[in-house]
Amino acid sequence: MIHVELFGIPRSRAGVEKTTAKGPCLGDVLLDLSERFPALAKECIDGRSLRAGYTANLRGEQFITDPETRLTDGDTLLLLTLDAGG
Amino acid sequence: MYGYHGNYLRIDVSTGETHRVPLAESTLREFVGGSGLGVRILLDENAAEVEPLSPEAALAFVFSPLVGSPLTTSAKFAVVSKSPLTARINDSLASSGFAIAGKKTGHDALVITGRARQPSILVIEDEQVRLLPADHIAGMTTSDAEQKLKQQLGERFQLAVIGPAGERLVRYATISHDGRHAGRGGSGAVLGAKNIKAVAVCGSRRCEWAEPDLLTQLAKSLSAKSFGPATAKYRELGTASNLLVFNRLNVLPTRNFQQGSFPSAEALSPEQMQQSRERTRASCVACTIGCEHIYSLGNNSNGKAQSVRIEYENLFALGPLCGVSDPEVVLESSRFCDEQGLDTISAGGTIAFAMECAERGYLSAIGLDAPWLRFGNGPALLRALQEIADGTELGQRLAQGSRRFAQEVGRDSIKFAPQVKGLELPGYDPRGLQTMALGFAVGSRGADHNRSGAYEVDFSEAVDRRDVGPEAAQLAVETEDKAAIMDSLILCKFLRGVFVDYFGEAAEMLRLVTGWEVSANELRATAQRIVEAKKEFNIRAGWTPVEDTLPERMLSTPLPDDARAELSTERLQQLVRAYNVARGWSEDGYPASR
Repeated sequence: MIHVELFGIPRSRAGVEKTTAKGPCLGDVLLDLSERFPALAKECIDGRSLRAGYTANLRGEQFITDPETRLTDGDTLLLLTLDAGG
Repeated sequence: MYGYHGNYLRIDVSTGETHRVPLAESTLREFVGGSGLGVRILLDENAAEVEPLSPEAALAFVFSPLVGSPLTTSAKFAVVSKSPLTARINDSLASSGFAIAGKKTGHDALVITGRARQPSILVIEDEQVRLLPADHIAGMTTSDAEQKLKQQLGERFQLAVIGPAGERLVRYATISHDGRHAGRGGSGAVLGAKNIKAVAVCGSRRCEWAEPDLLTQLAKSLSAKSFGPATAKYRELGTASNLLVFNRLNVLPTRNFQQGSFPSAEALSPEQMQQSRERTRASCVACTIGCEHIYSLGNNSNGKAQSVRIEYENLFALGPLCGVSDPEVVLESSRFCDEQGLDTISAGGTIAFAMECAERGYLSAIGLDAPWLRFGNGPALLRALQEIADGTELGQRLAQGSRRFAQEVGRDSIKFAPQVKGLELPGYDPRGLQTMALGFAVGSRGADHNRSGAYEVDFSEAVDRRDVGPEAAQLAVETEDKAAIMDSLILCKFLRGVFVDYFGEAAEMLRLVTGWEVSANELRATAQRIVEAKKEFNIRAGWTPVEDTLPERMLSTPLPDDARAELSTERLQQLVRAYNVARGWSEDGYPASR
């Protein structure tokens, strides 16, 4: 099980701050989220990938976008917008 | 010539004399407009060598070829001068009708020198220039002064005004336009030193575009893209949505950069504040993004409704940086800064520095007894801001910025003064965002997130943001180059996500406006030229390589909440050398032309 934390637009589209999703890869997590959060999928996810403008961060440590990135059970994945700015 | 008037207007407010200075087409093509053209003009005016608050100092309002075009976000201008805070180049940008009206006076820039004999309003209507007395608006807040001047001069004039902070020569005073600010580096103090409370512009001269039909088509396409997902964050939550992300990644500067996360961040987040406060959205003139999020503050003691525009930077600087978690205090502090004409980042940074000095007992040691000045104390933050406005003994010290204040405080305080080249750091802890650390260190106007977008590299897979190596230097150069062009064209940086081929698309815009056959490669060379011109200005102003660094705290102490977020002097200097080489300069940062 992957712990997912959502920020900014992903949070507002999903309507939750945190959830869990099934792995084992980033793409699988995104597919799982898409099925449960259609508004999130529409704005931020394209199949097994994130749409342009969005990114994922593993454990607060590493930014990842490759859908084949392997995750470990219990990992924390952050979904956020790409640009910092402001 | 398309897109330009081919001249700038120099106004000596000591004498009232004006002089129209021709701008060659080659110069305009080499420096474009805004920030780039501004630095070129200031070099020609020998502005680097003079004291920034002296009558001889020049301050330029610089327009751009895109101003007045149908391109979204193009109603922007640059205010360029030598900074009284850093004594280096300062180019601060703002969006408002001032850009459109100012360009319609028939000039590509307005350059102000001299010092008026009395507080004055500089009125420019086409070629007609006059000085009016400003006694009746002296000491007024920015919004009151604007309102009064609109009544006096009429709605057709667009205004740039300073608040009481600019009049008092606070070194980080802003220039306000329709409530938006040319914020960083103290251009408001430069205008205040000239005894100019306000500049009013109105004109009737339009520039023609080389390809008006194609430009309109491109503008429609750009506007359509600006409604899309690339700008959703700005539209729906505003830049303040960074707060929780930065907090989660432990890069949210807290208690004067002593921590990278703030336990009460949630209470200050836009997600939380939107639930309990009335909020409206607004756009700058000629903008389709609509990033402004304006929060209601209720009525003041006179029954007047008050509100404040919230961005990530004022939220961070007047909240976590000072340890303040009360949203009411943070909103009120932001409103106060806007009304006084104070840069919120430098105000918050300097007060956070003073809080740490007070807690260490350093202030009482120099005769400044401020036992009330403590992290987390909201009323203390408000009082400190009021003391800056009132010019009390403490307020005068705070008005100098953290570097000068540290020089007075002595001991080891310069090690934790949160500044580079005198400019207070924005809300990115450089230990956890190390490409940004490089951007801060080499920034021509000091610690700056607007002239270097290096944080974009840290927020990508290209680097390990807490262990960045020299390979990041070229990426930092590219973000700086993009910013140099955006700030010279000028377009809002919040559009950057909509471009696929940024330099190519920017070149096409410039081609349609000017008729020049500009290529992406030419714009890359232009960016390098602009960055180099800023370096040339700084060298003439006294820059030496030792300035390209960070406060010692950032180089000796890891973030307590993230032990991997650690940077050393040696590693930062390695990055700086790699940056200089990537720029084609000597390892210590001198361009080949020197």
